[in-house]
Amino acid sequence: MKFEDAVVKSIRNFMRGKMPKATSELMDEGRFYTPEYFDELEEAFADDEDIKEPEDEDV
Amino acid sequence: MRMFSAPVAGANYTSDTRNYPWHRPPDISDYDEAVDYIITKLKEPEQHELVFSLIELDFTITTIVSTILMQGIARGKFSIDLAILIAGPIARYISIIADDSGLKYDMGLGDEDRIKITPTSLKIALGIVDDEADTDTTPAEIMSDDGGLMSQVSVEEIDAASADEQASMLGETIDEEEPADGLA
Repeated sequence: MKFEDAVVKSIRNFMRGKMPKATSELMDEGRFYTPEYFDELEEAFADDEDIKEPEDEDV
Repeated sequence: MRMFSAPVAGANYTSDTRNYPWHRPPDISDYDEAVDYIITKLKEPEQHELVFSLIELDFTITTIVSTILMQGIARGKFSIDLAILIAGPIARYISIIADDSGLKYDMGLGDEDRIKITPTSLKIALGIVDDEADTDTTPAEIMSDDGGLMSQVSVEEIDAASADEQASMLGETIDEEEPADGLA
């Protein structure tokens, strides 16, 4: 398997919400950059857009 | 390559390969730290503009992520294994900022999950009713209804000869007709 193929496989798994379990178990506090974190980040970006839009209309 | 300009046999064992960054222990070995490093780098204006320019040039997110990770590996920032692990979060982050900026992008994950378009699925999607589809029968159905040339014939299908025909075939009753003109 080429590096690019491994990257594609890794991205595909992450998009499906899969995380490497064994690596996560090594950390006591768990991981910070999880699929849930990015879902929240996406919502935060979307909320920012909603706030920005009325400001543009006022201008 | 000319004979005497080639490396001496075993020269690779004498060279100091530790000069390469990827031959030394990586600077970052923690998952979160590595993701944080890349995201911080992507927030820099130059890197931000570069990534957005590549997306606008129709580069896939997968290609961009691979390039970023290869640079990190070449600089000795993280190992190849960790690079593969952090590919997902980096791709997700780039897709989020691209969405936020209104850029259209392709993830480049291939077409494994794509639903294959077939003439039947297209007809269903367009609401086209095919008359031929109603009368369409499989070869097995044709064989079971009509029977083939080699199929067994049922008793009902046998058209038996009448008793007289059978007797005549056996030569039991031979009706000798008398000549009409009476010559015999």
